[in-house]
Amino acid sequence: MKRFFATILTATAAIGAKAQNRFPKPDFESGYEYPDLQYAVPNELMWDVLDVVLLLALLISAAWAITRRRKPMIWISLISVLYFGFFREGCVCSVGSIQNIVLAMVDETYHLPWVVLCFFLLPIIFAFLFGRVFCAGVCPMGALQELVNVKNGRISKPITMVLGLLPWLYLALTILYAATRSRFIVCQFDPFIGIFRLGGDIELLAFGILLLIISVFTGRPFCRFLCPYGALLSLFSSVAVKRIKITDKKCINCDLCYSSCPVDAIQPPYANTPQEERKEGVKRILGYALLMPLLIVAGAMLMRMSSDVMSRAHKEVRLYDLVTAYEAEENPEIIPLEVEAFYMRGRTMEELQASAEKAQADYRLYSTWIGAMMGLVLAIALIRFSVKRRRETYEIDQAACVACGQCFSYCPQNKVGDSKN
Amino acid sequence: MEEKKNKNINNPIRRKEFLQMCGSVIAGGTVLAAGAKLATKTKVKESDVFWQIDPARCTQCGRCETDCVLPVSAVKCIHANRVCGYCDLCGGYYRSNVKELNTAAENMMCPTGAIERKFIEDPYFEYTINEDLCTGCGKCVKGCTSFGNGSLYLQIKQDICVNCNECQIAQVCVSDAISRVDYATAYKLKE
Amino acid sequence: MKKDIYRTIAIVTGIFMLTVTIMLTTNYFQVRNISPLQTEVMETLKSLNETYGDNTTLQEQIRQLDLLARKAYFVQEEHQKMGVYLLIAMSIVFIVCIRGYYADVKHIAPKQIDVFDEWLIQSRSRKYIRILTGALAAIALFIIIDANRKDSGSTDADAVADEVALAEQAEATTSEVSSGQPSESETLTVVTPSETPNEDTASATETPIEPQKVVGQSEETAPESTTTSTEATTNSADNVPTTEPAKPAEASPATPNDASASATAPSATQQRVNHQMFRGRNSNGHSSAKSIPSKWDLASGGSIKWKEALSSKQGFSSPIVHNNRIFFTGGDASSREIYCHDLASGKQLWSLKADNIAGSPATPPQVAGNTGYASATAATDGKHVCAIFATGDIICSDFDGKRIWAKNLGVPENQYGFVSSLVVWGSSVFVQFDNNNMRKVVALDIATGNVRWQKERDGKVSWSSPIIATVDGNAQLILMGNPNVTAYNPSNGEVLWSVEGMAGEVCPSPCSADGIIYAANEYAKLMAINGKDGSVVWEAADYLPEVSSPVVANGKIYIATSYGVLAVYNAKTGEMIAEKELNVELYSSPMVVEGKIYLISKDGQVFIFSTDDAVTQINSFATGEATYATPAFLDGMIVIRTEQSLYCVADK
Repeated sequence: MKRFFATILTATAAIGAKAQNRFPKPDFESGYEYPDLQYAVPNELMWDVLDVVLLLALLISAAWAITRRRKPMIWISLISVLYFGFFREGCVCSVGSIQNIVLAMVDETYHLPWVVLCFFLLPIIFAFLFGRVFCAGVCPMGALQELVNVKNGRISKPITMVLGLLPWLYLALTILYAATRSRFIVCQFDPFIGIFRLGGDIELLAFGILLLIISVFTGRPFCRFLCPYGALLSLFSSVAVKRIKITDKKCINCDLCYSSCPVDAIQPPYANTPQEERKEGVKRILGYALLMPLLIVAGAMLMRMSSDVMSRAHKEVRLYDLVTAYEAEENPEIIPLEVEAFYMRGRTMEELQASAEKAQADYRLYSTWIGAMMGLVLAIALIRFSVKRRRETYEIDQAACVACGQCFSYCPQNKVGDSKN
Repeated sequence: MEEKKNKNINNPIRRKEFLQMCGSVIAGGTVLAAGAKLATKTKVKESDVFWQIDPARCTQCGRCETDCVLPVSAVKCIHANRVCGYCDLCGGYYRSNVKELNTAAENMMCPTGAIERKFIEDPYFEYTINEDLCTGCGKCVKGCTSFGNGSLYLQIKQDICVNCNECQIAQVCVSDAISRVDYATAYKLKE
Repeated sequence: MKKDIYRTIAIVTGIFMLTVTIMLTTNYFQVRNISPLQTEVMETLKSLNETYGDNTTLQEQIRQLDLLARKAYFVQEEHQKMGVYLLIAMSIVFIVCIRGYYADVKHIAPKQIDVFDEWLIQSRSRKYIRILTGALAAIALFIIIDANRKDSGSTDADAVADEVALAEQAEATTSEVSSGQPSESETLTVVTPSETPNEDTASATETPIEPQKVVGQSEETAPESTTTSTEATTNSADNVPTTEPAKPAEASPATPNDASASATAPSATQQRVNHQMFRGRNSNGHSSAKSIPSKWDLASGGSIKWKEALSSKQGFSSPIVHNNRIFFTGGDASSREIYCHDLASGKQLWSLKADNIAGSPATPPQVAGNTGYASATAATDGKHVCAIFATGDIICSDFDGKRIWAKNLGVPENQYGFVSSLVVWGSSVFVQFDNNNMRKVVALDIATGNVRWQKERDGKVSWSSPIIATVDGNAQLILMGNPNVTAYNPSNGEVLWSVEGMAGEVCPSPCSADGIIYAANEYAKLMAINGKDGSVVWEAADYLPEVSSPVVANGKIYIATSYGVLAVYNAKTGEMIAEKELNVELYSSPMVVEGKIYLISKDGQVFIFSTDDAVTQINSFATGEATYATPAFLDGMIVIRTEQSLYCVADK
């Protein structure tokens, strides 16, 4: 796709690669001239600007659309899927940008492309201002699931609640692997990238298709149960400046919006009739509050102890293991490609060992923090599910709402004013 | 959380709003601070955008062909004419130990026949790569680097590459030859 | 009505999609399993073609298969692309239709799963979270325990595995010793009447050799055995010379295999001795051969088993011998060749030209006349023989003269010409490639020619040959360069130590004993280097060699200078013990055999010295033929290459 829009850049930057020069340059007698070779380089700067402008435009229109309109959201979704998904082949992506940001924070030498920063920050800013409008239709992955969604099958609420913690754990692991410069797991295991690129790793492709089939029957499985960026956005959307409301008019408790929500983010009215002694409830909250530091410490310790296993995801550690295993063998018959390349590069074992040990030390440090974070997430969830609150009308759970706008179009109160359209 | 809850116990609505406000302030502050901090990390000119292979490091392990996310790898062999010796017995064109220098299948190195050659003058031949056929397997590169001037080498074609956030080939590259490069040095060419 | 249309279209497209998906996936897996461009069949056919040359049917077969493979690859690529586009188009239609069909029923309230009771939901959620927490902790614990178990387990298991491996190796060695011999005897080796296939071959050396029988046999079997022996060579896993005996007690074992060989097969020391490379095994100037003649007369034929006038191309390389094959090299500007002669008769069995090598220069580099193109001695592991020439071409052949691989390591720029001999250790062949334009040391897999490792080297051009030394039971690859003497780990090329001290035109090879490396060169010094850490033990500079390499025996180091002095130093202290003026020019290197020093001068005079403290001259006589090459020593035999001929000395 990029081919058609590539500009030709006369690449002159010759590198100092050692040419072998076994054979001298031929002296041509027939007046032969060297062909002038040029290699196409896409005008990435132009695309970068276009990407950011379109992102901003889509975010603004989505923010405008959630003032009780559903139709524009479909168009926004379509544009996003076609442009960010199929045309840009899924690799200008806010979800993946988390990792670049983490890398930029821990690695001084890494230069963060400004586009990535925009893709990371803009949706967060919009989430802070208007709620998760990015998820609504600007994110190609959310949009794709939204577009194929036909029915709103419901999953048992407690199960969705618990599954809703998975994005946090995924986020924790993402940060760990990015901070240790091992790999970008969000990108590597992106289930939809294969669909956008019309081909790819068959297992992931199958997973992506499976997710899409699920999202035909229930709303957005990926967004709800996996997306780490969604978890981050929910933090900001739950304290959003301008909160999403189902209707400005008075709720008539008709239950239509509740049934229409694909992500189960609408909470029905609840009388909060006491079912246990008040003291019991307070005691439970206090108990979980005391458990919090314990969980954090336990998480930190467990993760720290398993850091050596996890560090095998790091290339240097893997190479070190391979080389030592190879050298321990008495009569090695097959030399692994990695080991061969290691010897040919002339790196010394000490050097490799030092860098592998550094990676392991990194892992020990970061996995401690990540373990603590996981413990914190679990503890907060326990406390959150201990707090009871009374609701008189149908209310949106701002953290879970993806601002898709389904409920607006189902609310009969909204129809009253719009009927002339 | 406990404290606040107890303090505002009599007025749940106000408590909720108060918490909300605190949250908003914290969140807004975080966004601003993080944005400012991260903005210092960006450098438009030097930011690492493309992936590219350093031919000096490449050991032609063959993983470029198999590990690219694209159905046919974005890595292609390119040819530096100015480095080439224009030999008849080309280590990239013919298999090693060839008996006869003709284009019969048993003599050719390239599995897809992507290397074409043209007679220039005795004894010189010009070699060109047909990019549409090239799979980036690096067999010819290995031949040329071991027996010739190293004028055939692998590069990631930026017009084909989808510019993954993390290059899958870089993950498995045995010689760490693939790294991010900036706009100006999209190709690492031999001259 | 409209809904019916939607439904029908949705069903049709649905079925269509399903079919396309199934077709695509099966196609994908089929092609992935075959991967048409890299089939093994193809590779085998191609390598067969390389071995057998002009077999037109084979070539035709390759061409057909190649065409098929390419077709399969590109057609599949095309189909896959088409299929995916089709699938995408179909899914869009399908989604649109199904949305249209369900447009009005879409969000009708589904059956309530939970009775809405937030209190219940919350307590259930809490329960699930507790379960999740427990599960996560369990997973983490499992990982930790599993890793610890593996770690601690592996140390035990390693120890056990080591023992098992050692035992297996010992068994393998003995079985190879006993079973290897009969199978070789089928095609090549000397068969003695007393030997039965099941018997250990201990008696092999004691029984006299019957030349006629061997000649007849090898002539008979050689043509037929070509296929079987190639198979045998490729099949046998490792070619560490296990049939080769461990050295006498004074030299510590060089490889683990040797250790097991000497430990498990006491009879192995009496086995057939070979001379696989320049200056014998490990290129150290020692041979464990027995019953060596100490007097012969080339002119009258006394003690001369055979003498063969050489019509082959000239070369200063030394002969090497394995079983009943003698190999040496020769060459000029037009071509370079390996020659193979029969040990029993001296007749030439085959020769192999090192031609058609990719990267080999069209016009060979200029070399000095007294160096030539074939001064580097070949080396063998018992199955393959490798030779290198001044063009930078290295070629590997099997024992029947079939080329296995060949490559060019780069064209040396070298004022005299490239001369460094090859050394084989285990299944690696090492090349010291110190030239003006490039200096490197390369380890190649002897079976395939693949580079195991290579290292760039500092310093200047040199002409020395590498050796394998044994330090603390571990092998070291020692290279003498200018100015550094460097030890590498032969299995990975790691630099173990490097000592500066050489100067001038470095040509002799180092030698080693008891963990001490001795290096010496004219215009520099004689150094004794501790192989453990590279520290210099002592230095001396009274007599220094120019071409000939030193040897160590009985705690003394022997230096043969080109102007004809044999100087003897105490190997421990560096103190001069004796100097013998021989009044000859010495280029060939001395060899230590049966506790005696054998030395041949340029004009063909043989000197034999004892290695006791007196350094008495045991014998000295002229042969009459100019000799540059170092002789090869075998049980009861010496093979000597002179300028005009190749001859074998054996007491009748």
